[in-house]
Amino acid sequence: MITSIAWKNVWRNKTRSLTVIAAVTVGVFASVFALAAINSSIVQRIDSAVNEELSHIQINTKEFRSSSDILSTIPESEKVTGILRNTPGVTGVTGRIIVRGLASTPAGSAGVEITGIDTAAEKEMFTLDRKLIPGTGSYFGAGTRLNSAFIGEKLARELYIVRYILRPESFTDLSEKGVPPAVAEKLRPLEGVRYSTEKKLTEAYSALLTAKEIKKYGLLIREAAWSYREGSRIILSFLDVNGNQTGAAFRISGIYRTNNDFFEAMSVFVPDEELRKLTGMEDGAYHRLIARLGEDDLTDRVTPVLKEALPGLEVMNWKEIQVDLAMIADYINQIYAVFMVLILAALSFGIVNTMLMAVLERTRELGMLSAVGMNRRRIFMMIMLESVFLSVVGGFAGMAVSGIVIGITGHTGINLVKYSEGLEAFGYSAHLYPTIGADFFIILTVLIVITGILSALYPARKALQLNPVEALRGE
Amino acid sequence: MKVVEINDVYKTYNDTEVEVRAVNGVTLSFEKGDFAVIVGPSGSGKTTLLNLIGGLDQPTAGEIIVAGHRLSELKPSELIDFRMDHVGFVFQSYNLIPVLTAAENVEFIMSLQKWPKEKRIARTEEMLRSVGLADRHRSRPSQLSGGQQQRVAVARALAPRPQFILADEPTANLDSKSAETLLDIMEKLNREEEMTFIFSTHDVRVMKRARRVITLEDGRVVSDERTNHTA
Repeated sequence: MITSIAWKNVWRNKTRSLTVIAAVTVGVFASVFALAAINSSIVQRIDSAVNEELSHIQINTKEFRSSSDILSTIPESEKVTGILRNTPGVTGVTGRIIVRGLASTPAGSAGVEITGIDTAAEKEMFTLDRKLIPGTGSYFGAGTRLNSAFIGEKLARELYIVRYILRPESFTDLSEKGVPPAVAEKLRPLEGVRYSTEKKLTEAYSALLTAKEIKKYGLLIREAAWSYREGSRIILSFLDVNGNQTGAAFRISGIYRTNNDFFEAMSVFVPDEELRKLTGMEDGAYHRLIARLGEDDLTDRVTPVLKEALPGLEVMNWKEIQVDLAMIADYINQIYAVFMVLILAALSFGIVNTMLMAVLERTRELGMLSAVGMNRRRIFMMIMLESVFLSVVGGFAGMAVSGIVIGITGHTGINLVKYSEGLEAFGYSAHLYPTIGADFFIILTVLIVITGILSALYPARKALQLNPVEALRGE
Repeated sequence: MKVVEINDVYKTYNDTEVEVRAVNGVTLSFEKGDFAVIVGPSGSGKTTLLNLIGGLDQPTAGEIIVAGHRLSELKPSELIDFRMDHVGFVFQSYNLIPVLTAAENVEFIMSLQKWPKEKRIARTEEMLRSVGLADRHRSRPSQLSGGQQQRVAVARALAPRPQFILADEPTANLDSKSAETLLDIMEKLNREEEMTFIFSTHDVRVMKRARRVITLEDGRVVSDERTNHTA
């Protein structure tokens, strides 16, 4: 009966209650959506780190990570591979040869980390092949030669392999993407001109267009002019096992684009057989073994098992390698909960105000309830339930709206390309796909109920202080 | 059988600079089945005396014993339970719960007392029939007239079978016809359920129906008369 009365009391003054509920709804929606957007970039960053760059667990000698010594290979790597494969939770194992070197073209050069990989195994364990920029080749396809390299877009730019040319087909592309003919006409003087960097192209079209046109169509122009000559080569040079300078020309098999500029600029992948041949490393020798787990959540469980099984080697999981990211991943829900507490605390003032008004205008009724035998606990419970209903209805409505909007934008994405340079320099995607875990909604539900309870305390105290005789007189 | 015993009770208010003795040495008792009115001019202490008998207020001196309970010995929380279990209240301005239907209002105190649902429903139907509102059980107070609301209030007060009913000016807000109907119903319930009614009133119509009239002046009982009226 108390619950029923409390629920009906909420709807006594519909306008007032709906105003508070709307405030809670908007507050919860805005905060949950903002958190989901932030979360998406973190989730995408973790996903990239695990699936494109690091995998779950890496094993190498204890000195390799700091020295990068070519001779610092894993002893008895076959035996170690066997241990890894037999460890519960491990679903894939592959070996890598890693050397530091220099990548160069006649136009430029850059320091890189050259990784020799088992291309078939890596394709099973990583998703980097899916990051291939269409039209730039393939990820070590069937017909790929041994001396092929898979490089990042950032490195391709540094080596001037990527150029910018507005060809006739570029104008067709611009027209299809909605660039007005008048704007395209202004760009005609640039047709066929080759620009070695994005910056030079930007300077060129900026001189022809208005500030508004640059802002609106700049990205589309840069994308249309992006050009890569298939079959380009780079020279990779590095030291062999004897400490002698060596190297070879590698044909670009494909160019990948990730959200991590640093990874794109540094990481060159080549078939391990080719690198083994050039460095003179023995068959079966690897600098690093990579273990892939069935689920991300197994990381913390499998790592200590492997550390115990491989005491002479350095066993590090992705969380230990990317400590900052791991810290965010581990405490993300707590961070969000603190944020939500602050938002709900602000919203609670509205609920307190509404409940206080509800109590003060029902003085006589509360006096009657006390007179006929409704004890303090029940009166407190009634007021508290009213407050909880207000916050829960608003909170659930906010969560429902958030769920729908997150569902839609999680599918379509939110484009932040305008700010992409800043974001991608830190390894974060410019396309956000808002997402948030179901467990966050559980925490949020608890917080909303607590908000309702806390918001009821002061109004309920006021109600309990009423003297039934005075209250019945309507004082 | 004595339902209420009031022994030399005083109630003094010190809220203002002047001390006010609202009840000044009252000694009374009420028997089971009484249909008594307390009359007197405004400020004579009628409502204060009713509040003391109902355990809404505590006397400054003297003692009130209801169904074996010395009210002055009860803690505030025990007083609330005492009111719920032993006293039925009918207020001048009805004081129904506006968000509940007539039936839910009647059921309310029984649900606080944790009556089984079937018994509660049966008793509610019985009481609404008794007050002639069986067909309005689903109506909210705002959909009922003043007289009908007061009849629901009487049904609510009687439903849990309290020791007695305290009715403070129950007809003050009613027209003649509604007041007569209400008094008919209360007389009938007094007779059929042997329920003790104690009224405070200015209303001559109520005084005419009473079998006992207690007159208060300046907080003192100046007369306590039995009448020949029979229900």
